[in-house]
Amino acid sequence: MNMDNSPAIAIENLSKTYKGKKRAQVEALKGMSLTVDQGEIFGFLGPNGAGKSTTIKCLVGLIQPTSGSARIKGIPVTQVESRRSMGYLPENPAFYDYLSAEEYLTFVGRTYRMSADQLTTRCREVLRQLELWDARKRPMRGYSKGMVQRVGLAQTLIHDPDVYILDEPMSGLDPIGRALVKEIIIDLKRRGKSVFFSTHITDDVEKVCDQVGVIVQGTLVAVDRVETILRSGVEGYQVHLRTPAGEPAAVIAGITPDRSNGPLAEYAVPCARFNAFMEAVNAAGADVALVETKRRDLEDFFLSLVHDHSPHR
Amino acid sequence: MLNIVRVTLKGIFRDRVFHGILAVAVVFLAIPSVSTLSMRQVTELSITLALSLESFILLLLAVFLGGTSLWKDIERRYTFSVLSLPITRSRYLFGRFLGIALFLILTAAVLGAGALVAVKVVSSGYPPDRPVAWGAIMAAVGFDALKYVFLVAFAVLFSSLSTSFFLPVFGTIAIFLVGGATQQVYDYVHSAAARTMAPLVRQVATLLYYLLPNFSSFDLKVNAIYAVPLDYHGLALTVGYCVIYTSLLLVAAAAIFGRREMK
Repeated sequence: MNMDNSPAIAIENLSKTYKGKKRAQVEALKGMSLTVDQGEIFGFLGPNGAGKSTTIKCLVGLIQPTSGSARIKGIPVTQVESRRSMGYLPENPAFYDYLSAEEYLTFVGRTYRMSADQLTTRCREVLRQLELWDARKRPMRGYSKGMVQRVGLAQTLIHDPDVYILDEPMSGLDPIGRALVKEIIIDLKRRGKSVFFSTHITDDVEKVCDQVGVIVQGTLVAVDRVETILRSGVEGYQVHLRTPAGEPAAVIAGITPDRSNGPLAEYAVPCARFNAFMEAVNAAGADVALVETKRRDLEDFFLSLVHDHSPHR
Repeated sequence: MLNIVRVTLKGIFRDRVFHGILAVAVVFLAIPSVSTLSMRQVTELSITLALSLESFILLLLAVFLGGTSLWKDIERRYTFSVLSLPITRSRYLFGRFLGIALFLILTAAVLGAGALVAVKVVSSGYPPDRPVAWGAIMAAVGFDALKYVFLVAFAVLFSSLSTSFFLPVFGTIAIFLVGGATQQVYDYVHSAAARTMAPLVRQVATLLYYLLPNFSSFDLKVNAIYAVPLDYHGLALTVGYCVIYTSLLLVAAAAIFGRREMK
């Protein structure tokens, strides 16, 4: 098989059933299939307990699926080799806290068979990139949560893999840290790397992802391109017109203004009537101050999917 | 695997529990004066005390390092990041075991040196009737270390099974107690004193004798204290027994750990 042409991640019919207490069975994943192409940023959205971490743990070999298969760059995840071209950040990561960040990254680099020279160079680069350089010699037991999260990111970057699997990468980070992570993900995309990251924060997905998958109750209920979702979610426009001083806002093309705010009048215009409305505005010689797109954002899309697939709706 | 061994050793050397246990070694300083409480066998008592102290420290280290090392990794979620690296679980497990084993051997060497110094000090002041068998003392230290490496393999097996530290720690202590008694029980059930014992009980005891570890053959204290010549053939058999039994335990531990879910 030509590994170079293989998708970054290919999941086929993946299922996982956990055995609970009193022989109860919990279906954490139900026949999930998805593909992440090389160079793609894939956001994996789902509410808590939806099966995001279970999927990721199957991908990195921490748990074995009950059925189905998954491959990283064409190599089955059951083989240790599949992890050579992958970097993984666990949710709420924890590392040998008696080691310093530098020692830990050296340990990680050695498992990827990096040479001593390569390791020294990459350690310096990623520690600086993640703003851990000054703390690199200190044992990690003295690190803040955000610093530990950044060490987690550093260990995924150290061997410069092609595929990144990040479980809630922004959790525990302050706004500056979140911005840094987003910047890193965008940079990875620019360099043709693939990133698969789970989150329940839709804004993160909207800003950095090419594609999004939504998982609810162990079932992948939607996979689509982010821009398609955003485009299909356009519901109309909010048009702001300047009205001459002292005159009441007029009804234009049958649309009455929502509200008047000083010299501005706001009109909620449905998509289907937008052209007719604008023609009437031009004909009346009205002054357009602002046109805003009114659309359902990713959060609305996500919430509606969760609502539709919830067993308690 | 060397990478895991290295990290394991670093972890042990930086562990406060280890520092506390090693502090017990200060008691070596008291051996010369305590030995003089024996009127006639001052040197013999010093050898007994030195080897017993060394053995006690190694036991504590074997139980706590062996029983908690793997459990701590799982409990503190270190395994999530380590086992997702390109390392097989069996390599990780063997690396952990080797790190602890290497540390026990190093500690035995250091404590053994301390024991030799203590005995030397005592024997200079109170020359014994028989010459001190330095070789037998070193062999006693070496085989003691081997016994505790063997015990660590049990701790690793229990850790691969258990989600808490109770089984690894208390299971290992139980194995230590049982392993020290198996030979005596076997000798008893096959002696004239046990003639009235039910045959089934005798058969069960014999079966357990073969299944459970036998630590008595690792005990060379009598040889060291009374300068009894060593039985090299018997020692070779003990080493072989230890290697084979430890290997089987580790293979079983790797098989169990390989299937374990890191939820």
